[in-house]
Amino acid sequence: MKGRFLISAILGLCLASSCDYKPRNQGKSLYAKHCSGCHMNDGEGLGELFPPTANSSYINEKPQALACIIKYGLEGSITVNGTSFNEAMPGNTQLSDVEINNLVHYILEVQNKTKNPYTISDIRAQLSSCN
Amino acid sequence: MRRRSLVKTSWALVIACSALVGCTDTQTSELPVLGPYNVVDKLEDGKLTTDTVFTQIRPFSFTDQDGNEVTNATFEGSYYVTDFFFTSCPTICPKMKQQMLRLYEEFEGKENVLFLSHSIDPKRDSVARLKKFSSKLGIESERWHMVTGEMDSIYSMARHYMIAAQVDSLAPGGYAHSGAFLLVDLNSQIRGIYDGTNPEEVDELKTDLQSLLSAHP
Repeated sequence: MKGRFLISAILGLCLASSCDYKPRNQGKSLYAKHCSGCHMNDGEGLGELFPPTANSSYINEKPQALACIIKYGLEGSITVNGTSFNEAMPGNTQLSDVEINNLVHYILEVQNKTKNPYTISDIRAQLSSCN
Repeated sequence: MRRRSLVKTSWALVIACSALVGCTDTQTSELPVLGPYNVVDKLEDGKLTTDTVFTQIRPFSFTDQDGNEVTNATFEGSYYVTDFFFTSCPTICPKMKQQMLRLYEEFEGKENVLFLSHSIDPKRDSVARLKKFSSKLGIESERWHMVTGEMDSIYSMARHYMIAAQVDSLAPGGYAHSGAFLLVDLNSQIRGIYDGTNPEEVDELKTDLQSLLSAHP
C-alpha cells in the first residue's frame, strides 16, 4: 500500500513538472545563451552589423532555412527588412536536433509571431540536407 | 545621576546623526575620482599642508577609423566614455556596442561628449576594418573614435584605465577582456567604471555624466 502511494506520488510529480515544459521556454533560454550576444536580447539586431531575428523578413520568407543557419552558420550577403548584412555568422554545431527544434520554435512563434509548422522530424530532415 | 546619563546619551545621538548626515552628503554630492593618487606637500599662507593629487590619463596616440591620429588633445575640453573591444568578438562586444550606441544617441548635440573604443585585436582590426564596422553601426567618427595601434600600447593603455584585456587562445575569438565602460572628465580623470553589458549600469553612467555636465557644462 505504502509502495503504491510512493509510485503514484512520483508519477504525479513527474507529470506536474512536464506540464511546465514547452519548446518555446527552452528555446528562449537557448536564445539568450547562444544568439542574444549578437542579435540582442529581443532579437532586434544591431545597426547593419547583425540582422534582427525578430520580425525578420528573411526568416518569414525562408523559415525552412533557419535550422541549418543555426547549426552551420551563414556567410555572404543577405537582405533583412530592406537592409543588407554581410558579416559571417558562426555555426552552433554543439546544439542537438531537439535544441535546434526548440530554438526554431521560439524564433518563429515568439519573435516572428508565426505558427511553427515544423515537427522534430521536419527539423531533422532539414538538418540532414543543409548545403 | 540619571540626568547625567540622559545628557550623555543625547550627545551620542547628536554625534551619530551628524556622522550619518556627513556620510550621505559626501556620497551623493560628488562623484569620486578613481585611480592612483599622490600625497604632496604644499605651502599655503606660510603653512605646510598636504594635498591629494589624482593622476590624469597619461599621453597616448592611436589611429582612428578615418586614419586620423587620436591623442589626449582630441579629448581636451570634453568628457569621454571609453572601452576595449574587437570587431570579430563573438561574445560581449555586440552588447557593449549596443549600449555605447545608446549613450551616443542620448548625448547627441552635446559637442563635448565623445566616445573612444580601443581594439584589442589590432592585427585584424585595421583602419579599413574599423571604418567598415563603424559605418555599419551608423556612427560619426568625429564623436566616436574607434582606434587601433601598436599591440603593446593598446594593452598597456588598458591596464592604465584599470581594464583587464589579454590574448587568450581558449577564449571565444582569441581574446579575454572586460566589458567595462569608463567615464573620463574634463580634467582627464576617471570618474566612474560601469559594466557596459548591463543596461542598468549604463543608465547610471548616463546619470553621472549628466550631473558632471550640469556642474561643468
